Amino acid sequence: MPKRTQGVLKALGLRHRMTTVFYPVTPEVAGQIMRVKELVSVEEVDRPLSKEELKAERRPDPGFWLEKAAPR
Amino acid sequence: MNLTRAPQKHHDIEEVCSITVALPIPRSPLMFSRTIRRSILDTKIASSALPPTFLLPSRARYLQTTVQHVETPPQGLDPSQLPLSPAAESIKSSVTSITNASPLPPRGPPLHPEPITTPLKLDSSIREMLPLLAAQPSHYISIHIHGKPYLVTAGDTVRLPFHMPGLIPGDILRLNRAANLGSRDYTLKGTPYLDERLFECRARVIGVESEPMRIKEKKKRRNRRINTVKSKQRFTVLKISELKINSIEQLDMSTDAA
Repeated sequence: MPKRTQGVLKALGLRHRMTTVFYPVTPEVAGQIMRVKELVSVEEVDRPLSKEELKAERRPDPGFWLEKAAPR
Repeated sequence: MNLTRAPQKHHDIEEVCSITVALPIPRSPLMFSRTIRRSILDTKIASSALPPTFLLPSRARYLQTTVQHVETPPQGLDPSQLPLSPAAESIKSSVTSITNASPLPPRGPPLHPEPITTPLKLDSSIREMLPLLAAQPSHYISIHIHGKPYLVTAGDTVRLPFHMPGLIPGDILRLNRAANLGSRDYTLKGTPYLDERLFECRARVIGVESEPMRIKEKKKRRNRRINTVKSKQRFTVLKISELKINSIEQLDMSTDAA
């Protein structure tokens, strides 16, 4: 990646793969996104999610539940 | 108004999971009878030359490999509370609100989820082919537990690659996430998962299996100290007791009633 692109990503706070960051919609941020638009995907949300909420979003469903417990 | 910057594109690394189907767990009785026979033969030949065979390291390891043990039941879960009546539910909610004050909630399996109220949308091809799929004799299903797929049929034994806390042998689990469901000629593919009302898959907890103790010696250079790290993992063993495909008429009836 070119140095300039790396710098833009770093300035946006995207230091690792699969990072998610939240920013208010401003012309400055829009310009930064334009420079790295091939590398990121952008979505508009109502409020920034907390770290825990992001983690819960990524966690897969357990896929099971206890239907009948044995006598204990 | 905010703007999300969502995940950077990259190639997702597929994780590998281990699945053991139809593993004969009680390995020791057979081995033991063989070792006894072998030891008798040995005594005929030279009894003083070797110790009895079951004491030899190669034999002794077989006796240790799979250990079945029943763990003490967890305190948090009471089976009498499982089918919740509305009155009991109000009591339980007050209890849970109190217990939530403690920093760590008791680890246990997820209980009965809320019933799905959204109407079942079925494609015409599913309406046409699902009875044909259900009519075929044996089925397989690829269930997802914690996001990892396990391709099973009814009667299979699955040794999960982890220990499920709060379960004892005899518990019945309902498996409700599946990606594929098929028979010899038909496959129903999920996008990415199937609707959980289409099938019923149940698994019985058989027990907990454990690996032999692993000892890793950690040594740094130019230092005589050796740190030994011991590890002994436990794995929950499930048996797929039931795999049933629900008929579309019943599903339509239940959705109409709801």
